[in-house]
Amino acid sequence: MGKGYKTIAFYPQRCDGCQKCVEACSEFHAGSTDPVHSRIKVVEAGGAFGLALCRQCGEPQCVMNCPAGALEKDTETGVIKWDRDRCVNCHICTLACPYAGITYNVVSEEVMKCDFCEGDPACVKACPLGALELKRGAEIFNEWAELEDLVVPGISACLGCNSELVLRHTLRRVGSNVVVATPPGCMAGVGTVGVNGKTGVKAPVFHPLLTNTAAMLAGAKRYYKRIGRDVTMIAFGGDGGTADVGFQSLSGAAERGEQMIYICVDNEGYMNTGVQRSSTTPYGAWTSTTPVGTVLRGKSRDAKPMPLLMVMHNCEYVATASTAFMEDYYRKLEKAIEAARRGMAYIHVFSPCPTGWRFPPSKLIEVGRKAVQTNIVPLWEYENRVGRIRFTHPVENPLPVAEYLSLIGKFRHLDEEQIAHIQAQTQRKIEVLKKFTSEQTTTTLHHAA
Amino acid sequence: MGKVIVCDGNEAAAWGVALARPDMVAVYPITPQSSLAEYISQFVADGIIKADLMDVEGEHSVLSVLQGAALAGARTFTASCGQGLAFMFEPYFRTPPLRLPIVMSIVTRDGITPQSVWGGQQDAMTVRETGWVHMHCENVQEVLDTVIMAFKIAEHRDVMLPVNVNHDGNYLSYGVEKVEVPDQEEVDVFLGEKNVNWHVALDPERPMGVDPLTGGAGGIGPSLFVKYRKGLCRGMQNALRVIEEVHREWGERFGRKWAPLVEEYRLDGADYAVVTIGSMSGAGKDAVDMARDEEGKRVGLIKMKTFRPFPRKALCEALSKVKAAGVVDRSVSFGWNSGPMYQEILSSMYFLSTPIPAISFIGGLAGADITVDHFRRVIDETQRVLEGGEVASEPIWLNEST
Repeated sequence: MGKGYKTIAFYPQRCDGCQKCVEACSEFHAGSTDPVHSRIKVVEAGGAFGLALCRQCGEPQCVMNCPAGALEKDTETGVIKWDRDRCVNCHICTLACPYAGITYNVVSEEVMKCDFCEGDPACVKACPLGALELKRGAEIFNEWAELEDLVVPGISACLGCNSELVLRHTLRRVGSNVVVATPPGCMAGVGTVGVNGKTGVKAPVFHPLLTNTAAMLAGAKRYYKRIGRDVTMIAFGGDGGTADVGFQSLSGAAERGEQMIYICVDNEGYMNTGVQRSSTTPYGAWTSTTPVGTVLRGKSRDAKPMPLLMVMHNCEYVATASTAFMEDYYRKLEKAIEAARRGMAYIHVFSPCPTGWRFPPSKLIEVGRKAVQTNIVPLWEYENRVGRIRFTHPVENPLPVAEYLSLIGKFRHLDEEQIAHIQAQTQRKIEVLKKFTSEQTTTTLHHAA
Repeated sequence: MGKVIVCDGNEAAAWGVALARPDMVAVYPITPQSSLAEYISQFVADGIIKADLMDVEGEHSVLSVLQGAALAGARTFTASCGQGLAFMFEPYFRTPPLRLPIVMSIVTRDGITPQSVWGGQQDAMTVRETGWVHMHCENVQEVLDTVIMAFKIAEHRDVMLPVNVNHDGNYLSYGVEKVEVPDQEEVDVFLGEKNVNWHVALDPERPMGVDPLTGGAGGIGPSLFVKYRKGLCRGMQNALRVIEEVHREWGERFGRKWAPLVEEYRLDGADYAVVTIGSMSGAGKDAVDMARDEEGKRVGLIKMKTFRPFPRKALCEALSKVKAAGVVDRSVSFGWNSGPMYQEILSSMYFLSTPIPAISFIGGLAGADITVDHFRRVIDETQRVLEGGEVASEPIWLNEST
């Protein structure tokens, strides 16, 4: 199986073209600041800066086109190494690379390319604006690829289903020493508990009622504790089974501090039954019960702030998450697994639905990413031990909400006034959340409650 | 020999629970069940019951946590009634097809509206068609004994069904009698080792999908569904045999021989009978004694202890000994304009060689007492029918005039 490697990431919006990286690269490799020796080039184009640098590709064109075998990808570090002794100086590699990542040095009269400076790139250290960052790519893949996918192949989810992504990734991480609850909704509808005597998950899995997921898991967990067995309870509830009809059961279990991981897969409505409104359906959204006509213009109320309500229940851990930010989700899962040994861990996963929201399946991750970039879905976590909310992916300069809304069919009818309402609501939501980032506010609110 | 104490029916039920050693008890208070929940809580506080006590946020969750625990392997108990039972209904009518041997006392209470907090069997009778075993107790001792027996019946491998032990709100919940509390060791031997999830479990050591979607228009789904339904019906029918066996064993071990399905009281030489259920039976028996011994009336009494599964054979055997019956219900069948027990007795008569005339009486609603005088009227009216009088198309409401 392949492997994920380190890479140098470039943030063009932070770059002012100062060329310090170029100088540092030359200095490191040639002992001179002359840019002719630099493997990294910063070029201006259309008022912004771009980078010419080796991407250390997975399927490197330079390696494939080298007639002398002078280029080779190091399977340990991922760096594409150039071997001076073998090089015939034909320069085919410089033509084959689409990124100008390997170039000809007219002074040394040989090709040169980024070698990661023995693992600690000089350019990254030299950048005063943080426009360059040494990042580990595919970290999730490196860490979790060997873990078993506990969901059977061929479950009947819609094309581009986010819930399936959540299910597979989560169970892969949590493992098989679990009891899995999938109440009626998309999670069960895709066949997790199976059909006609056949199961869909390689672990104990069941249909609770739409209304009693948290209670049933609590009962099972209590008995396992009584007989001294450490078994993890995990729920995948939809927003209806969580925020609407299952709310009482969840609220009671949270108040009692029942030990479980409760994941709300929020696709903002009753998608499995034909796209009806739930209390987490956002303002303005079309659903089959908040239709758009001459009188009605989609949902007239804002969504219920479910994750914040769970913070107010004094849960051990509460977080929001998005599959467009998978590493963030894995870090949160890790904390949730640990927190569920002490009480309730609640993760609210934003789950765009191509079928019910009317957007192409190929746009799933983009919709998820835009939701975060516009602050429609702020990513945060609350650790009871810390006592306040922390943004895990702060968005200081959010994009206008229209950039998110315009991707999705269920918002197609929105007029300017409605978009303005969503923009204002989004801002208000962030302001409220920011209040909870102060320990004092959160503690005071808990005491007041 | 156990110890002898004086207590009410709710405390007696709690003693029964204590002796059955459940792993989990979940409760939510509701009149007239509340003191049962309180006794159990105190017993847990005092270490008499070593169960996990889950005081959850409503009856719906009460039964839900017990379902989760039972699927993990726990012996479980709860109690409820009236509106609590109504709120519990969603997980309630799923318990039998999940084949979970949960035991629950229904401290019976009349249904609202009109708003009422008093006894009546409207709650238990309303949920009679869900696959729970229903047994109705006559007195405080029978409550204690039946709660223990209920675990053995529920967990029998040929049954694997939930059991309701019903005792009348007010009259049995708060009525005080002398009772014998059996020894723990003897009850332990009587109940034996529990194994409540051998057939369906949520256990990583035995992973399975519990309750996949079953059915559809074609394929194996619909026939699989029928298989489950027939299995439940078979469990219910097996319960008739098991209830008798367990009552017999109880009588042999503890000396108290309760009629398991249907009790025949002074039917020898009787021409007609009063049919009763629950705590009213005591007054009914007194009235029968007086009518026979003082007035020479040839009347007997048939008491139904087990109402689900319906003990048709035992009932028909009793009915075949008389020529008329007066059936006293403590609840209403709105669809038939009669008592529900009356309606089911009419159904049973299809299997008699000769159907007999029967009258529906409804009494004891919303806490009303059913007295010996009320039973005198029942006896007189039934005798009138026996002698050829017309059977009214409407029930006779015993507490209609104050």
